[in-house]
Amino acid sequence: MSFHTKLRHLAIAAAAAASIALVSTTPANAGSVENLERERAMVLQAILMPDLGPDERVSKIGASQRRLIDLERIVLRDDSLTGRATPAVRKAFANYDLTFLMHAATEKKMLLVDNWFTAMGLTTQSIMATRTGPR
Amino acid sequence: MNMHKLKLLAGSALVGVVLAATPVAAANPGTPTWQPKVSERLVKLPPAYMKKSLDRDFARSALGQAVQDIEREIALKTQTLADLQRATEQADGDVLIELKHQFLAEKRGYLDLMQQKQDMQRKQVATRHRVLEKLLAKLNRKSGGLNPARQKLVDQQSAARQRFNASASKVDMNLFAEQDLPESKYSREYGKNLQAIQSLVAAIKSHPMNSQGALDGDDISKPEYVRRMVADAEAELALIDQESQILGFMAKIVALDAMVLSEEIADSDYADSDVTEPNDITNVVNLFVNN
Repeated sequence: MSFHTKLRHLAIAAAAAASIALVSTTPANAGSVENLERERAMVLQAILMPDLGPDERVSKIGASQRRLIDLERIVLRDDSLTGRATPAVRKAFANYDLTFLMHAATEKKMLLVDNWFTAMGLTTQSIMATRTGPR
Repeated sequence: MNMHKLKLLAGSALVGVVLAATPVAAANPGTPTWQPKVSERLVKLPPAYMKKSLDRDFARSALGQAVQDIEREIALKTQTLADLQRATEQADGDVLIELKHQFLAEKRGYLDLMQQKQDMQRKQVATRHRVLEKLLAKLNRKSGGLNPARQKLVDQQSAARQRFNASASKVDMNLFAEQDLPESKYSREYGKNLQAIQSLVAAIKSHPMNSQGALDGDDISKPEYVRRMVADAEAELALIDQESQILGFMAKIVALDAMVLSEEIADSDYADSDVTEPNDITNVVNLFVNN
């Protein structure tokens, strides 16, 4: 093999490796925020659904917890979201306590439900202090 | 005055006048050029490789070839000057004058070549400076250019990640140890992959091709490296200007030498001529008094 052929082969190998490196840095989890939002919506639905019994509610919330943790971590570790100012991403990072429900709740040693109500500003006192009236 | 001496005299005077009048002449408009492009490939290259790529591109350009050619010519001219200087030390009479004249003419040729080289160097460094400025602007556009809304988002993301990293182990302990939740496949695989990624990142960090971004022992970012290259190019331009001043002084010395030589030739010619001394009237006083 001549020197020029070797050189060409080396250049092709370097270019191939560089293209692989570029491909591997492209965002792999483009819908990570949307996935988290879907799971979070299901949990909130379980919290707020009026016709669910207490056991059923706890079981529904418990079933989502594991997935919620994973999805929250996927979003927090997703470098492709850095600086991506879409409405969904902006909203997701605007309030840690409301988006990363499981992590925020565990960090504060609270139940997921309590943490969400607190983050929304809904306390027993505030609910008791409300009055009915025309909007 | 014989014709040869007259020619030498005219030649020496002309060398002096030309050099004194235009110590640094304008660049020849027909000189070769170098037109590098700021491509995406150049932006993505590691910093040191970027510099090498520019150097290689210049060496392959018409301007690069011309600089190499003129370097060779200057080396030959320097050799000729040294030979003539040695010969001048051993010569005398008309041969000495002839050699001195040749020496001056060769000096002028050397200065012309040096001036052409400086023009080319100035062109090269100015082009490099321009390319690096564009490269820096491109890098800044890529890395920065955050508007306040995006900057706010980046800050929030950074704060969220910091908060998560600070509490992740506590959360794991609470969930897996106390609440006895089974570890998910994502969690298991993530831990395994993270170790592999960390070892690969360490290997990349210590890779010689990657560590070429270090300058003077500092590990610096790509924009910082390019900024330093821009500063180096500016310093090079300043040095070329200074060298051009040196060239101007050298030209002045050659001009003065040429004037001295022409004076010497004129003096010796005058001494050899039949021109008589003006008669003093007091010398003939005796002719009148003793009669």
